[in-house]
Amino acid sequence: MEKRELRLTVNGQEYELYINPKTLLVEVIRDHIGLTGTKRGCETVSCGACTVIIDDIAVKSCSILAVQAEGRQVRTVEGLEANGKLAPLQKSFLDHGSYQCGFCTPGMLMMSEAFLKENPTPTREEIKEGIEGNICRCTGYNSIVRAVEAVAKGDYKGE
Amino acid sequence: MTINKYSVINTHVHNVDGIAKVTGRATYTFDVKLPGMLYGKILRSPHPHAKILNIDYSKALQLPGVIGVVTGKDTLGVKQGIWRRFQDLCDEQMLTVEKVRYIGEPVAAVAALTEEIAEQALDLIDVEYEVLPSVFEPLDAIKKEAPEIHEGFERNINVTRHIEWGDVEAAFEEADYIREDWFKCGGQAHMCMETRAAVSSYTPDGKLTVYHSTQAPYYMQTLLAGVLGLKEGNIRVISHYVGGGFGGKFELDGAIFCSAVLSMKLYRPVKIVFTREEEFIATKRRTPMSYYVRTGVKKDGTFCAREAKVFTNGGAYTGMGATALYLTGFFHSFPYRWTGYRYDGYRVYTNTLPSSAMRGFGAPQAMWCSEQQIEWIAADLGLDPIEMRRKNAHYPGYEVPGQASIASCGIDQCFDVIQKWVKDKGKLPGNRAIGISAAGFMSGGIFNWFDTPYSFSSAVVTINYDGTVELYVGAQDIGQGSNTTLAIICAETLGVKIGDIKVHSGDTEHCPADLGAWGSRQTLMAGNAVKMAAEDAKKQLLEIAYAQSGFNIVYDLDIKNRWVHAIDRPERGYDYAELVQKAIRGKEGQRIVGRGYYTPHRKGMISPAYSYMLQGVEVEIDKETGKIKLVDSLTAHDCGQPINRLGLMGQLEGAFSMAAGYGYLEYMPYEDGKLMNPNLVDYKVIRATEMPEVSVAEIDTYEPEGPYGAKEAGEGLTNPTAAAISNAIFHALGVQMKECPIRPEMIVNALKEKETKEREKK
Amino acid sequence: MIHDFTYLKPVTLQEALSMLADHKDECKVICGGQSLLIVMRQGLVVTDYLIDIKGLNELNYITYDEKQGLRMGATTTHRTVEKSNLLKQKYPVLVAVERKLASAQVRNWGTIAGNLAHGDSSGDLAPTLIALNAKIKLSSAKGSRVMPLEEFYTGLFETALNKDELVVEIQVPPARLLTATAYKKFNLIENDQGVAGVAATVEVDQSRACKDARIVLSNAGVTPIRAKSGEKVLIGKKLSDALLTEAAEAVADEADPVSDIHASEEYRRHLIRVLTKRMVKQAWEQAAKLR
Repeated sequence: MEKRELRLTVNGQEYELYINPKTLLVEVIRDHIGLTGTKRGCETVSCGACTVIIDDIAVKSCSILAVQAEGRQVRTVEGLEANGKLAPLQKSFLDHGSYQCGFCTPGMLMMSEAFLKENPTPTREEIKEGIEGNICRCTGYNSIVRAVEAVAKGDYKGE
Repeated sequence: MTINKYSVINTHVHNVDGIAKVTGRATYTFDVKLPGMLYGKILRSPHPHAKILNIDYSKALQLPGVIGVVTGKDTLGVKQGIWRRFQDLCDEQMLTVEKVRYIGEPVAAVAALTEEIAEQALDLIDVEYEVLPSVFEPLDAIKKEAPEIHEGFERNINVTRHIEWGDVEAAFEEADYIREDWFKCGGQAHMCMETRAAVSSYTPDGKLTVYHSTQAPYYMQTLLAGVLGLKEGNIRVISHYVGGGFGGKFELDGAIFCSAVLSMKLYRPVKIVFTREEEFIATKRRTPMSYYVRTGVKKDGTFCAREAKVFTNGGAYTGMGATALYLTGFFHSFPYRWTGYRYDGYRVYTNTLPSSAMRGFGAPQAMWCSEQQIEWIAADLGLDPIEMRRKNAHYPGYEVPGQASIASCGIDQCFDVIQKWVKDKGKLPGNRAIGISAAGFMSGGIFNWFDTPYSFSSAVVTINYDGTVELYVGAQDIGQGSNTTLAIICAETLGVKIGDIKVHSGDTEHCPADLGAWGSRQTLMAGNAVKMAAEDAKKQLLEIAYAQSGFNIVYDLDIKNRWVHAIDRPERGYDYAELVQKAIRGKEGQRIVGRGYYTPHRKGMISPAYSYMLQGVEVEIDKETGKIKLVDSLTAHDCGQPINRLGLMGQLEGAFSMAAGYGYLEYMPYEDGKLMNPNLVDYKVIRATEMPEVSVAEIDTYEPEGPYGAKEAGEGLTNPTAAAISNAIFHALGVQMKECPIRPEMIVNALKEKETKEREKK
Repeated sequence: MIHDFTYLKPVTLQEALSMLADHKDECKVICGGQSLLIVMRQGLVVTDYLIDIKGLNELNYITYDEKQGLRMGATTTHRTVEKSNLLKQKYPVLVAVERKLASAQVRNWGTIAGNLAHGDSSGDLAPTLIALNAKIKLSSAKGSRVMPLEEFYTGLFETALNKDELVVEIQVPPARLLTATAYKKFNLIENDQGVAGVAATVEVDQSRACKDARIVLSNAGVTPIRAKSGEKVLIGKKLSDALLTEAAEAVADEADPVSDIHASEEYRRHLIRVLTKRMVKQAWEQAAKLR
């Protein structure tokens, strides 16, 4: 087994890595690069805690080989804020109390971010469907849906 | 709706840990990395009941990268338990020495340079077992010929509990109508998003530092001292962010124990994180229960007598199962007045995963049986189910004989709210129905079976020169928002803004002892401690203010919104920051320190205060497939004075999702002691698409024992939903479901049975 | 844990096929990996070589023409299918099925060929495509072959794919008037794996009698099951409740469902009866535009 060079761009920053090709994207993000915001909660691609964005689309980083993200733009929760300024979704989550233990929150934020990019004017049903792949054991989801709805409505425009 | 007389309490306040959580900065035990850290994995028993004859791990030690292996022989072999005052119930060695009692029980642990190597090493450990006969159901385990699981426990009966008041037989004589039913309540997995995780670091000075995902750092510190032979003061437990607990994380678990033992042997930090599969098979679960209920009422619906016999499937060890046994028996009477009540509970050992505490702690099971039978009795007698409940309900000042004194109680107003809701809904389409269920819960227990010498809750408030406040609590935030709730109470009491408070929790080295986050105790108990500490600090500030103010003696001073003022002359005042500076100078440069604590005294057999609620759930049922869809819900809720508004809504919605899961989704089938669905594909939890709108109507009451009149909110809300869903099914289809979780196949079969019976009648 | 492997990344289809030819007994192909990585992590699949075809853009396409019909390249993601306006017009059932398949994240990265090649009889795509009379094109370094998708499934997680072959294309005949396909799976939670599912295609004639029908079952056997006896019941008849019941009975008899923790055999059969009636009716009405 040969290690492979991997050039990965995460949150706009290019990283040069040398990895076993079986390394999962979530392992590269958390262990090699050290961004621990992205979490893991299962072994069956079920929970969504590992959700990140690759080139504008949300994916579960536990079920992607890191090598497949080569040459692509990966975004994690750490990349949502800009120079200490929170993204609209993050502000909305704070206002709506859309988290409790917070473990699913990075994945939820990234899924919501990608979702709104694709569907900027969703119905409530569509938001629920949009985050269907992310489990939250604490909030019962409704506060998360409200937060996404508020951003979609434009409540955080120009902040 | 009362006008909010508070500045901070019951206002819209951001969770104080919010920024950390929404930016990915919150570091959970799952994320902790220490220099020189090793990774540990646990070898688990494949047998439900077996003697360990020999463990040979020599081959594992030879695998490059393996640093060490431990077995029960490396431990003191202490049988520990959380009911420390009852030594016979301390029955669990965290790394068993002589025999295994459930599939998944830890028998050895490996530490290696990487997780992968540790996992490979497990395959190289040879364990020789002598398989013993096993038993899985309580009613089988109590038979004479059943195998003995723990020495000295005849018929495998682990704990019994008896609750009785009144002359039960006489009360049954008074009844015009008697009904008896048998129920089977399933277990449930906590399914915390963060699995069990611990990083233990033992150093040559004999000190142990442990990062642990836990609900009760103080419990971990004390229990570890007992099992490791260390002094409590030499153990530090750190738990800043916890990814969910729900009752599963206030006992020792395999992660904390095995990582500590490994670290003590190897003098290096060791991290153990459970996989989701391990989380399912090796962390304690909600207690499955078999219920027999016999209830007698008068024909006008007055409750006379109830008799319940319950067998709980305790699994292999006691854990917190004794408390679940007790609470289920009490809440099975709740919230009604019974002339005669008798409960006999038997917790039975079996060779399955130990069952212990899970949100609701025996009450969801109790309500599921009680509220269904009550609904059926109302139907049998042709009585209105809400009015029948109302006429028998608790009221403020009621004494549950020998058990509890009820101070605040808003259940009557709850009936009004739900009655109106049901009426406004009008006639529902044919495939929909509404079910209701009453419920309530304790606000922390009065019991000290843990045998702590400390106050149940303590708090320290320190005020800095710039007016910012450090609040030290032992209460643990596991997501339910206790840091925020306590900061709110502190801010309100001191008269400052929420942003002035910095909460310190989750570190036994810096925070006072506290029993932790379970049994819905923290708002009331830690809240009282915080209030007392803040009052102490404020008093010290006001002493200086009085001295300086020159006010006539009839005036008294207060601080509100950072404004020090005479209560009758609020315009005459000055900034709190100024007062702080003066006060610290007055104390020769010492920060202002306030202390508070709370332990319940003479508060009955269970709790100082109880929440009350009535929940209605509208359900849609596909009669052909039996599929259930949740449509709408309203809970009329009495938690005394709400403190954390955002937190309360979150607790309602979150509790609903977990409780509904118990009612119709979270099936945990075992076959010969083996869990058949230890993963999130086959174990179903609610997702966003399944949640209906969940509304709450807060009933205004004031609980004298609680801080600002507050009592628990969040665990009680887990108690009614399964019953409400079942009652909706009863009204939609006329079938009585005796087993939960209710799966569609069961509904289809129940309908078939009903149709067959009706055809036979004709 | 995933066992070590040598990673190969072909740039063209030809390169991929020649790699397959070289390593056929000791290699596995990964595309989206949404199913494969789980079984590799469980140690159920161990391979010396992993050939990654996710980057083969030449296989990422959806084209349609009135004569040939629909052609979908193997590395087309579920999401592309779900969002395709073309498919929404011509084969709306495919869009509907994709919307209820797994989660958005999985659909974003997983591919239709990966899904089909995995051979899970509880999958939604295979029965739907079989109901659409789809064909599957397999290529190796030696050449290509096309077979009805129905014949592709040979056993439990077993397909007709040879060790040196790749799925390269799905072909669906042109959409026809007076023909519609409907699919529904039964699950406890939206988008969950189906406990059982039924795909039904109904073609009606001018009198709205059934001219042709295809009924395909998911999670009712080791492979997707084509319920031919059930189909025969419908041909030439007019839609009625009695007809639906009769067809449902015949379909349920052809099913070979298992009992597991999610459902007993009898309940699965019951679901198949119910879903058959519903899906045949839905397809029929759509085809006849009776709605």
